Amino acid sequence: MYAWIWRHLPGPVAVRIGLAVTLALGFVALLMFVVFPWAEPLLPFNNVTTPQ
Amino acid sequence: MGTVEHRGRGAGRIAGDLGHVSPSPRPRPRMREPETVRIPYNRLPPTNRPPTGRPTPAPPPPPRRDPVRTAVRTFGEVLITLGLVVLLFVVYEVYWTDLVSAGKQKDATVALDNQWKGKDDPQRQDHFTGLGEGDGFAKMYIPAFGADYHFTIVEGTTAASLEVGPGHYTHTAYPGEAGNFAVAGHRVGKGAPFNDINLINSCDAIVVETQNNWFVYRALPKEEEKTGWAEGKGKEAQCKGVSVLGGEYSGVIGQQIVTPNDGLVVAPVPGKETAPSTGEQASLMTLTTCHPRFSDKQRLIVHAVLVKQWAKDPAKPNWTPPELKETV
Repeated sequence: MYAWIWRHLPGPVAVRIGLAVTLALGFVALLMFVVFPWAEPLLPFNNVTTPQ
Repeated sequence: MGTVEHRGRGAGRIAGDLGHVSPSPRPRPRMREPETVRIPYNRLPPTNRPPTGRPTPAPPPPPRRDPVRTAVRTFGEVLITLGLVVLLFVVYEVYWTDLVSAGKQKDATVALDNQWKGKDDPQRQDHFTGLGEGDGFAKMYIPAFGADYHFTIVEGTTAASLEVGPGHYTHTAYPGEAGNFAVAGHRVGKGAPFNDINLINSCDAIVVETQNNWFVYRALPKEEEKTGWAEGKGKEAQCKGVSVLGGEYSGVIGQQIVTPNDGLVVAPVPGKETAPSTGEQASLMTLTTCHPRFSDKQRLIVHAVLVKQWAKDPAKPNWTPPELKETV
């Protein structure tokens, strides 16, 4: 998978490294700002109330 | 008959175009010999190749694009990636949400400070009407957790409100009022204001600041401290005003663990469906959070009772009550 991505990145090695880091950061941002906030309410850390 | 050139062992045992005639050691009658035909070694049929006497060379390494190899490697990479994602989620839950909530808490505190400075009520009465979901209206301090422990309490217990800070159960009493001032707070992430409320000991102060007053609540005796309270811990100076509650309140203790659907812990008389008229109600404060940590199996409840009220003096805006110095 990672080898496949690396083979399909264009340009010389320096450009490839830059693109790879950008891809990784984009993936992390997607998780942090979209996936985790969505998944969090489904997990049992946040139920701190009782019914009134 | 043709002759075949060959090497190594097995000379004289070659079949091939010699047919199935066994080689004979006897000299044969000399016949007209045909010209010798050389068959290149590598053109011999494989079965006819003489053993070379050397070990068979190892098979060449499999080609790089072997689909099984690719599939196994990709599977492994996916598993490693998923592991990293789970680790990242821990970072998100424990650190990232803290940062986000710290910002929101700060905003709420600034907004509340501005509001308190803005309008000065000549009656110096606290008003808690017209509060919207997520609006800050009071600050809470637990000196036993250190001088830096303070949170702005916001209205409502929705997920969005609790991200800002401890949230007030909308239908319960407000600070200083008769009844049960109930507040929920996170224990993991989101600033985790109630992370350590299991460490609140009986008589520890929970100070609530409103626009015009300081209210000092103190945690009630725990179950195991009830017997002999008046002669024992109840005599300590900071336990003044804290006693084992009687009558309708006899079941209310400093700390308890309940099931998540036990809504009666935030009732005016905790644990009781019915409540006396407002004039006969005690002024309590209740904190709720999840229990155990990282789980929602149960709820941890802390009950405290109002023991003192300090009216703020407009002439001394920086005055703080002595209870705030009870940092251990």
